[in-house]
Amino acid sequence: MTINEPREGSALKAASAARIGIGGPVGSGKTALIEALIPILVARGIDLAIVTNDLVTREDAERLRRSGLIDPARVSAVEAGACPHTVIREDPTLNIVAGDELEARLPGLDLMIFESGGDNLASTFSLDLVDWWIFVIDVAGGGDIPRKRGPGVLRCDLLVVNKIDLAPYVGVDLDAMLSEAHALRDAKPVLTTNARSAEGVEAVADAIAAAVLFKL
Amino acid sequence: MQLLMMQNADAAFPSGGFAFSNGVEGLGALRRPLTGPDLTDALTASLRHRWAGADRVALIGAFRASDDHGALSRIDAAVEAATLAEPMRVGSKRNGRALLVTHTRLESPGAAALHKALSDGRLLGHLPVIQGALWCGLGLGEAEAVLISAYQAAASMATAAIRLGHIGAIDAQRSLSAALEVIADIVRQPMEQGVTPGSSKNEGCTGVVPRQSPSPVILTNFTPFIEIAAMRLAGADLRLFAN
Repeated sequence: MTINEPREGSALKAASAARIGIGGPVGSGKTALIEALIPILVARGIDLAIVTNDLVTREDAERLRRSGLIDPARVSAVEAGACPHTVIREDPTLNIVAGDELEARLPGLDLMIFESGGDNLASTFSLDLVDWWIFVIDVAGGGDIPRKRGPGVLRCDLLVVNKIDLAPYVGVDLDAMLSEAHALRDAKPVLTTNARSAEGVEAVADAIAAAVLFKL
Repeated sequence: MQLLMMQNADAAFPSGGFAFSNGVEGLGALRRPLTGPDLTDALTASLRHRWAGADRVALIGAFRASDDHGALSRIDAAVEAATLAEPMRVGSKRNGRALLVTHTRLESPGAAALHKALSDGRLLGHLPVIQGALWCGLGLGEAEAVLISAYQAAASMATAAIRLGHIGAIDAQRSLSAALEVIADIVRQPMEQGVTPGSSKNEGCTGVVPRQSPSPVILTNFTPFIEIAAMRLAGADLRLFAN
């Protein structure tokens, strides 16, 4: 089901599932992180659904639907109207409606993940939409990303540095990159992952559970 | 009143409207490039042949009915029936629901009841119906509500043309200025057809003197070129807007 096929009737109700956001630049590994998180969260008994915000295509939504990791009916796609940050920050209403519709259709949902379309370092989530959010950057994007002090890097609840396996191949000093990230974010957490191999993803799941899944 | 009108007309008011080009993206896919005069033509056609006879009529009917959900349901059904193109029909409902989300969270008068009516399936939630009912409850005048609706209909299409890269932000204002003259001309004319206002229970809502009509809800909408363009786009793999 997509948001273009709204259910008539029981489509709106008060939110009860925890809602988290996953944002970050194009190609940083947001979808790959979600693909790695799904089996871990499911194994922990978490009932989850996903809303994607593809910019032009429905590639992320279709990739998740076809992954075999999650029932395709648990993935909804919202068009970003040419502005990936608008749909998660300035005007998150379409995402809120998509989340409400999923919750109405899937009683007992524990967790809803809103994946932003690929954006720039200024991308942030509105707390009208999510309770807690992750910003994903990747080593191949450059070791200087934290130093650029983008609002996404500074303000997210959890910063994930992905593709750490590529550091030697792209000339990035990972230790220095992480040191800068920790220094700029005060005490807020920074985790490292290789989403392709699921390295570090258990720790991301732990962080989500500690932040918003109080039943665990 | 004017400040309330400005708040609700502001593009910064969260309504979901940014995601809908209402046919502009489809037109751009047919005509490359979409020029300023093309946009002006599209705005004029949309305002005169859709908004004037369908959205405006539904909005005024909903404004006058406001908390009469039976009447709102009939108007909603008429909008559904009068909107042939699926992308426009679905877009109107999505946009209406998104606007209602904001007002529900703001606890605007009547919003919770409208929200429940949508949840119960008693309303479809088309944009002009939600706008009319909510804006009456907020204390806007009927004339102001009509102007906001018209302005947003035109401005959203102009904004879409800018975001799609068809036209510059300054040039778009030329098209929008032309559209304002069209809007002024339309709103000077009384509705030839419309909704029966007899069911209105909102004496506090300030409106123009209702025109009697033998038919409860009559909407007219004929924008085939724009709608065909939108329907062609709906099947495309690549698109930026919802319609």
